[in-house]
Amino acid sequence: MKSFFTFIFIFWTTSMPGATAPQYSVTNIPAPPTKYKNFQIDGLTFLPNGKLVVCLPSGEIFFRDLKTESWELFAEGLHNPLGVIALSNSELIVTQRPELTRVRDTDGDGKADDFAVITDHFGMSGNYHEFNFTPVRDKQGNYFFALGTGSRGDGVRTITRGTFNERGRPGRMHSSAPYRGCIMKLTTEGKTIPWSYGHRTPNGLGFDLNGNLFVTDNQGDWVGSSKLFHVQKDHFYGHAASLAWKEGFEGTPVDTPVEKLAKMRSRACVVFPHGTMANSPTKVLAITPRAKMGPFTGQLLVGEMNRPRIMRVMLEKVGGELQGACVPFFDGSPLGRGCNRMDWAPDGSLFVGQTKHTWAGGEGIQQISWNGKTPFEIQNMELQEKGFKFTFTKPVNREIGAKKETWPFSRYFYEYREAYGSPRSDETKVEISAIHISKDAKTIEVELAELKAWHIHEVTVQNLTSSSGDKLSNNYIVYTLNRLLKNTPPEPLQIKVASKDSKGKKS
Amino acid sequence: MNPHLSFFLFLLLSGVCSSLSAESRDEILRKGKELYNGAGSCVACHMADGKGQKGNIPPLAGSDWLKEGSDRSIAISLRGLAGPIQVNGKKYYAAMPPQLLFDDEKLAYILSYVNNAWGNQEDLVSKEEVAKARRELSQDVFTPQTLLKKFPFDKKYSKKNGTFTPTFDDTLTEITRPVIYRTFMPGASPAAFAVALPGNHYFCWDAGECRLRYVWTKGGFIKSNQAHWSSNGKPVAEFNGTPYYRARTTLLEDESFDELSKTNMQKPIYDTSQADDFPIRLKGLKETPSFLGYQLVEGYPKFRYSLGEHTITELIGMNDKKTGIVRTFTISPPTEAVLQLTPSAFASINCDQGKSKPDGKLLLSAKDSSHFSVLITPVEETN
Repeated sequence: MKSFFTFIFIFWTTSMPGATAPQYSVTNIPAPPTKYKNFQIDGLTFLPNGKLVVCLPSGEIFFRDLKTESWELFAEGLHNPLGVIALSNSELIVTQRPELTRVRDTDGDGKADDFAVITDHFGMSGNYHEFNFTPVRDKQGNYFFALGTGSRGDGVRTITRGTFNERGRPGRMHSSAPYRGCIMKLTTEGKTIPWSYGHRTPNGLGFDLNGNLFVTDNQGDWVGSSKLFHVQKDHFYGHAASLAWKEGFEGTPVDTPVEKLAKMRSRACVVFPHGTMANSPTKVLAITPRAKMGPFTGQLLVGEMNRPRIMRVMLEKVGGELQGACVPFFDGSPLGRGCNRMDWAPDGSLFVGQTKHTWAGGEGIQQISWNGKTPFEIQNMELQEKGFKFTFTKPVNREIGAKKETWPFSRYFYEYREAYGSPRSDETKVEISAIHISKDAKTIEVELAELKAWHIHEVTVQNLTSSSGDKLSNNYIVYTLNRLLKNTPPEPLQIKVASKDSKGKKS
Repeated sequence: MNPHLSFFLFLLLSGVCSSLSAESRDEILRKGKELYNGAGSCVACHMADGKGQKGNIPPLAGSDWLKEGSDRSIAISLRGLAGPIQVNGKKYYAAMPPQLLFDDEKLAYILSYVNNAWGNQEDLVSKEEVAKARRELSQDVFTPQTLLKKFPFDKKYSKKNGTFTPTFDDTLTEITRPVIYRTFMPGASPAAFAVALPGNHYFCWDAGECRLRYVWTKGGFIKSNQAHWSSNGKPVAEFNGTPYYRARTTLLEDESFDELSKTNMQKPIYDTSQADDFPIRLKGLKETPSFLGYQLVEGYPKFRYSLGEHTITELIGMNDKKTGIVRTFTISPPTEAVLQLTPSAFASINCDQGKSKPDGKLLLSAKDSSHFSVLITPVEETN
């Protein structure tokens, strides 16, 4: 979900990015009987009893019994619910614009009758872009939710909620009402606190299997290309506006020298290159042991709005911080656009809810099932001292794998700047110096002539097949190389100082 | 002959012929104005300024529907018009009933006045014209389609005038069970409720300040939800009616819903942290309320909020006759309390406990505060 931006596909190589492996099938789920025609899915999960739960922009929440294939209306009247957790068969936690709300059926008639505020200790300027995204809950019972910033596409309402802060008002995307642009934590003691700062459109929180919290962000002002962040307490992730709420931060965030902001910011663990990987990433979902999706347990799925795509993210800890690679996983028709929310069904299949809200996207619910046979995919991409190690799900064709032309690597970075998005800077082809294929032909180590820290490294693997001739389903993979295994140089600012003219009108 | 001059002469002659020669123009317009503004007459809907009511009753001031002669307006007055119409580019939903109380002469006075009031510059209407139409028109109430077939608009006007097919619209729905929407409402914080009750009374309750904002009944429920739900969430709900009860807020001087629907402000008129006029005062407490949520009691919303150590519930339903809303409060633990209501010429307010003051204050003993009700009913205009 982001302000409209004309995106340009940049095909860096001659071969097209991949498609969904034939081992996965996509099924359409019939629409819930909403009376408002509009069938966008903004929240999706499962009850302990296995029923599917979906939230619609109309404020309706439906349950679907997958056995009887019937819908039932559970609740209605919520204000743009954008995420849901099921605590029991009769109790949901929902993020809606004004609140985190506990929605319960207390009399057992199958319809919600009590809507309790869990927290509303955050502000609303009334700007349409102030979405309240995805609640998630950690093992201790703390909740996290993500507050979108307001858009320059409009101003604020006549009455706003929470102390109005003029310091957060200027800029393309603004934060004039409390904590817009923050990830919020509601502790088990009932305290609501801003947990991290610097988010623009954080449409999608999720934990990995180790309890690390992640959130995506959408390309725009201060966000050169869309990103995945490892959310840590009090970190600042780059979008300036929410600094208005950070204790000890003085002055107007957007008027702060960009050098100062660049030094404060924490890097993304994964950057999704704009135009080729993702323009508007959404929900983060870990591939659990329960999921039946192939040999990818522990990795993350991330949805994308603008094209029919769900990505797979693989992370590793380097120099004490997480970083890693992303690759399209489910890509192209029959998957729909607007993959916004997803969760694992009791049978281990993946359910995906699609939305658009006037931006690029779609509407509908789809189920992705795996037939149990191994797809030919890049299972993992890991940093090595001189290059990257690729692990495949099947043995590769050694001859093709050993060719340097198979690995047309390039590297670049996105500038940190107030302007909307960033071009690829310092884009350079990287020579391959050596290729080693393992005995079982399942791993290939690709050594590069130079590994440059704080640069994105990407490759569209050319014509690689498995030893039995399967085509590599998804061959475009991008590694966000922040830190090296050894001797990482100091983090460069990679900033662009806006000239007076290009800075644009601050509304 | 100059065509403009001949047209001018034609207008002049027809004006002379159709005027009621026995009376002066001023006299006609004076009588027309008196009838227009009479009890239960045109003024009740079209208003004294002829501007009508937004979305509901079309304006007469400046209306293109009065142009190109008076046949169309005579026909509407005599037979009525049922169905949505577009007037000068804006949409109106309310039906116009046939005006059976006025004879030919009175209707001619009224239409002559309407044609020449508020800057309108149309012909005077004669009682002969009215009588002829009364004889010749079919007895059926007009629909926009039948009317416009008989009295079509010139191209010059037809772009902005005519009829339209209403989309699914809550304003046209008969409410049989309570409907609760959380959505953006004018004149409330962004955390607002729009509620429709059986009997078609509607209200806006503001969770941002834990207070009832306004209540209305004419014109139907909010109508922009479809736009809100299918878009990026920006639209502020609109409705056609005028509230019969509106809680006073010292922080809002401007009461125009058009103004209060604005979304493009540089800064707000005020933010809720400045709202210091919460309408319930508990003894010795100067706290601001916190919204706790709501329960559905047979579908009706029972809001709950806290004030210091006290929990207040407010169940809003209809009275048995379905003529007004009943707000049933409980305060727990009970304490001496004052509820500030807003006296209004358009509503009668009755409380079952405590002592009501002329300024709208309801004084409640601790015992009263544990359970009390306030009935608010619209007052029909009787002038």
